[in-house]
Amino acid sequence: MGRSVRFALTATLLAAVAGVPLGFVIGSRSFKGKPAVITLLNTLMALPTVVVGLLGYAFLSRRAPLGFLDMIFSPHAVILGEFLLSLPVITNLTVSAVQAVDKRAYLTAQTLGASRWMVAWTVLMEARFALLAAIIAGFGRAVSEVGSAMMLGGNIRYYTRTMTTAIALEVSKGEFGFGLALGFFLLAVAFSINILFHYFQVKGR
Amino acid sequence: MGEQDKTFQLELKDITHRYDGKTVLAVEHLPIERGKIYALVGPNGAGKTTLLHIMSLILRPDQGHVFFKGKRIGQDESQRTHARRSMTVVLQNPYLFNSTVRANIEYGLKARGVERRKRERLIREALEQVGLKGFESRKARRLSGGEAQLVGLARGLVLKPSVLFLDEITANLDVKHVSQLEQVITGINRDRGTTIVMTTHILSQASRLAHQVFSLFDGRIVPSGMYNLFEGQFRHDGQEQYFDTGRAQIHVARDIGEMERGYISINPEDIIVAEQRIHSSARNVFLGKISKIIEENGLVQLEVQAEETFRVQITRLSFHEMGLTLGSQVFVIFKASSVHVL
Repeated sequence: MGRSVRFALTATLLAAVAGVPLGFVIGSRSFKGKPAVITLLNTLMALPTVVVGLLGYAFLSRRAPLGFLDMIFSPHAVILGEFLLSLPVITNLTVSAVQAVDKRAYLTAQTLGASRWMVAWTVLMEARFALLAAIIAGFGRAVSEVGSAMMLGGNIRYYTRTMTTAIALEVSKGEFGFGLALGFFLLAVAFSINILFHYFQVKGR
Repeated sequence: MGEQDKTFQLELKDITHRYDGKTVLAVEHLPIERGKIYALVGPNGAGKTTLLHIMSLILRPDQGHVFFKGKRIGQDESQRTHARRSMTVVLQNPYLFNSTVRANIEYGLKARGVERRKRERLIREALEQVGLKGFESRKARRLSGGEAQLVGLARGLVLKPSVLFLDEITANLDVKHVSQLEQVITGINRDRGTTIVMTTHILSQASRLAHQVFSLFDGRIVPSGMYNLFEGQFRHDGQEQYFDTGRAQIHVARDIGEMERGYISINPEDIIVAEQRIHSSARNVFLGKISKIIEENGLVQLEVQAEETFRVQITRLSFHEMGLTLGSQVFVIFKASSVHVL
């Protein structure tokens, strides 16, 4: 369980570092093809995890183009898969969060003499609760997926096994009860995340 | 300094701005002198806010140039940010950051790298100035409309800008807050020599506070058009050309050609009042009642309510000789050639 959370946290953190700035740029500017980009992001948000696993496998397995990285069946591969899954979620929710900020926030920051960076930071801070929600949703996506973790991590005990792959294994072994217990554990993790989420939302009001 | 003193604090030259293909602003020249209060007046949609945004370097005009302290402000973002730091805009219905009052007022100081201790002191002073002493830790979003407006003003004042732009800031306030705000405005102009440019649609406020009033109509600055400004339709009737405001038909002398809707103005000095209908060459004669009398600098301003309300200026002597009082019936007479088509 610790491993599950650790993988998911690392992946989410990386996805946030990439996705929040990306989402800010998409959300705060108007450019040609913006609706297309947003549609693409929406599609990617529903990306089946097995597809990510499949694509990851296609690129990372020993004889594949990126095989020399020796990443397949390693924690790095699991994290990469989870990163790819949570990136669109975080980016997309950041876009909505930034778009929801009152346009006067930009204007006000400018009239008070803020530089471009400070304006951007201010807008993100105005959207801070929605951003946190975006990151938590990204974490939820990373911690709950099973397809890519299985295909890229290989479900190796003590090494790349996560809660979800463990459940899949136990059930296929016929150990339904143990699988169910693990499932409740995972549910508890998801539940605590949502309580946290709710707490920040209420605080934001 | 010598030469330097002659440069304007702010100067606009040949500005045009379009919105959706329509020209919303066309200002040839607008000089702003240091230490004065200016008011921009005009009806909604006249371009006041657009002009204010261009002057305060928030908006880049499609054409023309803004000069700040004699220097042309170009496209360079860091130059614009630098110039912007000597000015502040307080918007109508200001946006307060979702945080405390302190954080809001602190914002501009942080942008200017003011150190913490000094910030605290300045925030306290600014809040006292607008009459919100002790409001530092309040949540900005929980303030009333009037309080929020005052915090918006304090947020601007704390920066001690050399130019302060105020966009309709008394529009949403009750009477008590309005007079408080007006006192603050005249106070900082007097004590700190801050140049102030404010937009308002309240003419009395403009003339009460400002050293100079610019009237804006349809995106253009119109000369002394503060009174007798009418909006309406130009019409032809055989030889006659007149302007229909909906209530009154005013004869105009100029060939108006294809123009349909537009604005006209008549200088108050160009209007004659008479107790009886007189036979003259003037084409425009209206019968009305005096509804207001104002004495100013040895002259008397009359407001005459006829089909439209006309502002008339006469000398004190003729006012007394005619024995005019409130409610007196008078004829308002002016020539068609005194009507300015804007």
